[in-house]
Amino acid sequence: MTQLIWNGLFVGSFYALVALGYSMVYGIIKLLNFAHGDLYMLGAFAGFAILGAVGGVSSSMALPVLLAVLVVTMAVTGLAGVALERIAYRPLRRAPRLSLLITAVGASFALEYGMRAAAGADPRVYPLRLGGSSLEVAGARLTLAQLVLVGVAVVLMIGLNLLVTRTREGRAMRAIALDPTTSSLMGIDVNAVISRTFFIGSALAGAAGVMAGAYYGKIDFLMGFLIGLKAFTAAVIGGIGNIPGTMLGGLVLGLLESFGTFWLGGEWRDVFAFGVLILFLTVRPTGLLGERVTERV
Amino acid sequence: MRATPLTSIASLAAVALLATGCGQGLLGGGDGGDTAKTNEPIVLGMLIPQSGSEAAIGPYMSNAAQLAVDEINAKGGVLGRKLELKTADDACDAQSAAAGANKLVTEGVDVSVGGYCSGATLPTLPIFGKANIPMIIPAANSQELVDQKLKHVFLINGTGTQQAAAAEKWMTKQGAKSVALMHDNTSYSKDIALRTQALLDAPGGADTALIEAVTPKESDYSANITNVLAKKPDFVYWTGYFQEGGLIARQLRQAGYKGSIMVGDGSVSPKLVEIAGPEAAEGVYATMTQTPDTLEGAEGWIEAYKKKFGTEPGPYSNQAYDAVRLAAEAVGKAGGTDGAKVIAALEAIDGFQMFSGPLKFTPEHTLSNGGFQILVVKDGKITLQDSLK
Repeated sequence: MTQLIWNGLFVGSFYALVALGYSMVYGIIKLLNFAHGDLYMLGAFAGFAILGAVGGVSSSMALPVLLAVLVVTMAVTGLAGVALERIAYRPLRRAPRLSLLITAVGASFALEYGMRAAAGADPRVYPLRLGGSSLEVAGARLTLAQLVLVGVAVVLMIGLNLLVTRTREGRAMRAIALDPTTSSLMGIDVNAVISRTFFIGSALAGAAGVMAGAYYGKIDFLMGFLIGLKAFTAAVIGGIGNIPGTMLGGLVLGLLESFGTFWLGGEWRDVFAFGVLILFLTVRPTGLLGERVTERV
Repeated sequence: MRATPLTSIASLAAVALLATGCGQGLLGGGDGGDTAKTNEPIVLGMLIPQSGSEAAIGPYMSNAAQLAVDEINAKGGVLGRKLELKTADDACDAQSAAAGANKLVTEGVDVSVGGYCSGATLPTLPIFGKANIPMIIPAANSQELVDQKLKHVFLINGTGTQQAAAAEKWMTKQGAKSVALMHDNTSYSKDIALRTQALLDAPGGADTALIEAVTPKESDYSANITNVLAKKPDFVYWTGYFQEGGLIARQLRQAGYKGSIMVGDGSVSPKLVEIAGPEAAEGVYATMTQTPDTLEGAEGWIEAYKKKFGTEPGPYSNQAYDAVRLAAEAVGKAGGTDGAKVIAALEAIDGFQMFSGPLKFTPEHTLSNGGFQILVVKDGKITLQDSLK
C-alpha cells in the first residue's frame, strides 16, 4: 500500500512539474500550449548534450554535477520557450483561438521532428544516472535518488508559488490573467510578462526532462508527447490556471494511475485514470481548486 | 531519397529508352508478359517506419536491403536486369502504411520486401494483393498476417507461435516455477504473451503467475512492477520492444527482483543493454531468430555493412537483407516479374540459404523452422546462450 502511494507520488511529481507550465500559460493567455511536452523533451536532450560536453564524471560527483546541469538546462529550455512564444504565438495573439491551437500542435511537431533530424531517431541513454541503494520506509522501497528528485520538484514548486503570490512579477502575471488590456493600461509590459511566464514554465518542464533523463536513463524525441498529454490532464484535474491546484492535480493523476494498475491491471490503468477524469469533470468542471470562470463582457 | 522520385523515374525512363535504342530489347525475355519490361530495373518496394515511434528501425532495414541490392547488381543483377530499391514510410501506423503501399504500387514495384510493424503491415496486404505483387515480409510476424491465407504473403521471420514455443522450452529447461508475462498491448507483443501462456497452462512445468500489460513509450513502470512482484515470480518474460524492455529490466532490478528476466525478439538490440545499464542487463535472456552476431561466418557481412553505412547493423538488418536476396532468387527462378510466377517460385524454394538457415516455406507461407534460439547478455554483449536444437 505504501509502495503504491510512493510510486504514485513520484510519478505525480513529474506530471506536476510539467503541468505547471501548461497551467501558467493557459492562465495568462488562455492558450493550450501543446508544444509544452516537447520542451520537456528538449530539456532532456539539452541536459544530455551538456553532460556529454562535460565528459566523464565520477559517480561520487554525480549529484552535484546533475544539479548544475539542471540549472543550466532550465535556462536553455526557458529561452527556448521564450523563442517559441515570440516566433509562433505572439504574432497570432489576436487571431482566433483555433489558429493558435493549431499553431501549438504545429510547434509540437516541429520540435519533435526537428530533434529527430538533429539527434536521430534512436533513443539516447544518459551517461550519468542516478541509481543508488534503496531503503525501506514503512513498507515502501524507495531510493535516495527518488527522494532527491521529489525534493527538487517540491522546492521548484514552492519557489514558483512564492514568485506568483508574493512578488511584483507575480502580481503582474495575475493581473494579465484577469484582464490583459486593462493591465497594459496600468503600465504593465504585457509582452515582457508573457515572455517571462513562458520562460518559467519552460524551465520547469526542462528541469523535469533532465530529472527523467537522469533517473530513467532513456530519452528519445517523442518522449514529450505522452507526458504532455498527462500533464494537460493533471492541469485540468487540479484546475487549469490555478497553480496549487495544478500541483495537486499532478499528484492525484499519479496516484490514480498507481492504484488503477494495482486494482485493475496494467491494461485498465488509463481507462481507470481517464474515466475518473471524465466523471470528475462532469461533477466539477473547474477542477479541484479551480475557480468558476466568470464570463468577461 | 523522398524528394526526388520524379527525377529518378525520369532518368530511369531515359536509361531504359537508351538501352532499348541500343538494341538489347530481347535479352532475357522468354515470358510474354514481361518482354515490355525486360530492360527496366526490377523494382523492390520496402515499407518501413521512417518516422514515428519506431523510426529508429527503418534505416537498419533499408540499409541492409540496399546492401543486398548493390551486391546483386555488382554481380550483374537478375536476368540481366538491375535491382532497384524504393522505400516508403509506414510510420508504424495503419493509415500511413496504406498510403505508402499505394505509392509503391503506383511507382511500379514488382516485389514488396518491407513490413516491420504487424499492425501497419496488415492493411497493406490487400493493396499489394490487388496489384498482384508478391510480399516477402522480413520482420512483421503476427499470426494475423498469415491467418487470411493470402497467396502472395510470405513471412521470413519466425512467428509468434514459434517464439512462444522457444520461450516455454527455455523456461522449463531453467526450472522456472512461476512466470510473469509482460506485454505492451500491441498485437505482436500480446500475441507472443498469450501463446506463451497457453503453452505454460499445459500440465507440468512452470505456471503463469500473471499477465501484465504496460503502456508503451512511458518511462515509469513502477506500478506494473509492483503488481508483478506481488505475485513473487521467478521468471519474467517481456514480449515487447527494447525501449520499454530496457527500462523494465532496470526497474525490476531496482525493485529488488532477483529471478530471471527474458525478453522477446523486438527487444534484442544493444540499446536494451544501454538503457537498462550494464548491471541490470547482465544475465537477461532473449528469444531471438538468428542475428549476424550469433551466426558463424557473418563477420564479413557485418564489416561490409559497417563500411558502407558507417554504423553497425541492427535489429532486422539481416532479415531485410535476406528478403531482397530471396526476392531476387524468386524472380530469377520465375524468369520474370509476373506476380503469379514469382509466388510459385517462392513456394517451390527449398534449401535457399538465409541467416535463419535453409529456407522452405510451410503451406501457410511461414518458415518451416522458426530458428529461435536463446541469447543472453554477458559482459554487456548479447551472445548466444542455447540454440535450442
